[in-house]
Amino acid sequence: MNANPLVPIRGRIIKIVQETPDVKTFHVSTTGGEKPFAPKPGQLAMLSLPQAGEAMFSITSQGPNHLELAIKEVGQLTGALHQVEEGQECGIRGPYGNGFPLDYLKGKDLLFIGGGIGLAPVRSLINHCIENRAEFGKMYVVYGARSVADLVFKEDLFENWPKVENMEVYTTIDRPEEGWTGHVAFVPAYVEELGFKPMTTITCGPPIMIKFVLQALARMGFNDADVITTLEMRMKCGIGKCGRCNIGSLYVCLDGPVFTLEQLKKLPPEY
Amino acid sequence: MLAIEKKRLNELLRRMNRDFQVYVPYLENGTGKFAPYQEERELYLEMNTLLPPKDIFFPQTEKMYKFRAAGNELEIEEIAEQKEKQVVFGIRSCDAFSIDCLDKVFLSRGYEDAFYKNKRENTLLVGLACTAVGDTCFCQSMGLNPQEAVGVDLQVLDLGAEWGFKARTAAGQELLAKYGDVLHETGASPLPAEEFKLKVEVEGVPEKLSRMFDHPVWEEVSRKCLGCALCTYLCPTCHCFDVSGKVKGEEGYRFRCWDSCMFSEYTRMAGGHNPRPTKKERVRNRFMHKLSYFVERYGQLLCTGCGRCLAKCPVNMDITAVIRKIKEAEVE
Repeated sequence: MNANPLVPIRGRIIKIVQETPDVKTFHVSTTGGEKPFAPKPGQLAMLSLPQAGEAMFSITSQGPNHLELAIKEVGQLTGALHQVEEGQECGIRGPYGNGFPLDYLKGKDLLFIGGGIGLAPVRSLINHCIENRAEFGKMYVVYGARSVADLVFKEDLFENWPKVENMEVYTTIDRPEEGWTGHVAFVPAYVEELGFKPMTTITCGPPIMIKFVLQALARMGFNDADVITTLEMRMKCGIGKCGRCNIGSLYVCLDGPVFTLEQLKKLPPEY
Repeated sequence: MLAIEKKRLNELLRRMNRDFQVYVPYLENGTGKFAPYQEERELYLEMNTLLPPKDIFFPQTEKMYKFRAAGNELEIEEIAEQKEKQVVFGIRSCDAFSIDCLDKVFLSRGYEDAFYKNKRENTLLVGLACTAVGDTCFCQSMGLNPQEAVGVDLQVLDLGAEWGFKARTAAGQELLAKYGDVLHETGASPLPAEEFKLKVEVEGVPEKLSRMFDHPVWEEVSRKCLGCALCTYLCPTCHCFDVSGKVKGEEGYRFRCWDSCMFSEYTRMAGGHNPRPTKKERVRNRFMHKLSYFVERYGQLLCTGCGRCLAKCPVNMDITAVIRKIKEAEVE
């Protein structure tokens, strides 16, 4: 990391994976071929193409020499990112935020619930748990998207994760589709249908999905202190100075993005 | 107390300006502001400046780094300004405390802001006691003493025909020693500050506000706000910034500039979601930040009672009136 936290270091996009029509995963190394920094699962990175802009993204996974950021095309910078090819140099700075509470999660059974691109931050934790399989209990993943084309990380969902010991993966899409023999339901309904017993849950997805997932979990008797989510806010500095990502007196970039439902209930509902 | 005859103040500033970049208050086209000292210009010491001195530490726009993007290659070059030693002369108690607030933001909580730190560390503050009190001044209500600024190295007092100097830090002591030959010992005593015309009781407000997020008062308070953001631009403690870029061909630079929580784009995300979509949420956030959130996070109010926002708001939004409303509000 640069001595000045607001100035990025040079990075290089070494690989680009097309996940869905509007989501690509970018593998980023330094120009020297090293990992830019070593984030904890759930932490964030500021990625920039200085000519187009800079924005905060969750780090969805990492390898020995790179970070992975799954990015949906929604605005100016993400539009420009979706145009570049492998080999493109970029700016990167971080890691930012608190990350998932790994010590707290150790030894527990874990339920991961994701919707759409919301699986991106959760995947960093899933992959961490898989790499350190013995440290965690049983793992369940419930993930859904609008359509088959919109399911991200298909290789993980259908190939890699189901093979992991003591791990179950449930995938769903919103509406029936020709050729899809899997489940069809909205994520919150599917979670309730699967009838999990209360356990530690990590969820991320569109605000509307999160809202109904939280309601479903409450009905199922899940404990607020055991329901963990990761928030998204507009950010500019990433280091708790520029002001805009506050929820009450906390800054999502510094004190978040990971919060328990118990913590969120004590904060103004302004996210 | 060491002092200088008022008519000889320029001799001191001239000497000081040889060793430091000295900023002093001037009246420029009717607007009071701090600017680099110039021998022939008349100082503006009657009242506080309309523009606070925060831009000396946190400029309205500030370049951060240059870049060159050609093909798929990128070069990044940090713009590291080496700041010379400077003195801000004539800072009032309200603005001195605002610097203390900015120090909390930019220099604590895990990360230091290198751009701010560079300027702050190289700057000495010389406070100027107020004797005249403006119609919209209420620093006393915010717990400040208009004649005794927090965090200054040197405090200047109005002795009538002379300016008196009291050192508040070792660096201030050094300043007095360094320019001792233009100063003399005096027995005169400081003129007191006038009685404050504007007073407001802030006791208990931060705690009460933490239970007032959903209170109907915000609908009422925000109704007349135009969202023009003038209050945030004149505020000595507002510190929100945007980061943006300027591109010309293959080259460009990234800069930061003052931003305002009063603007709708401030929190609007690329996908369109906006956690503070209307002025009700934005006005609420501004007052909550100043009077409650900042107290929770840093242990002090983010309003110093300088009164600029209420003096200049085009629709007479008045933070003291808002505080009174909060005091009177019924809360479950």
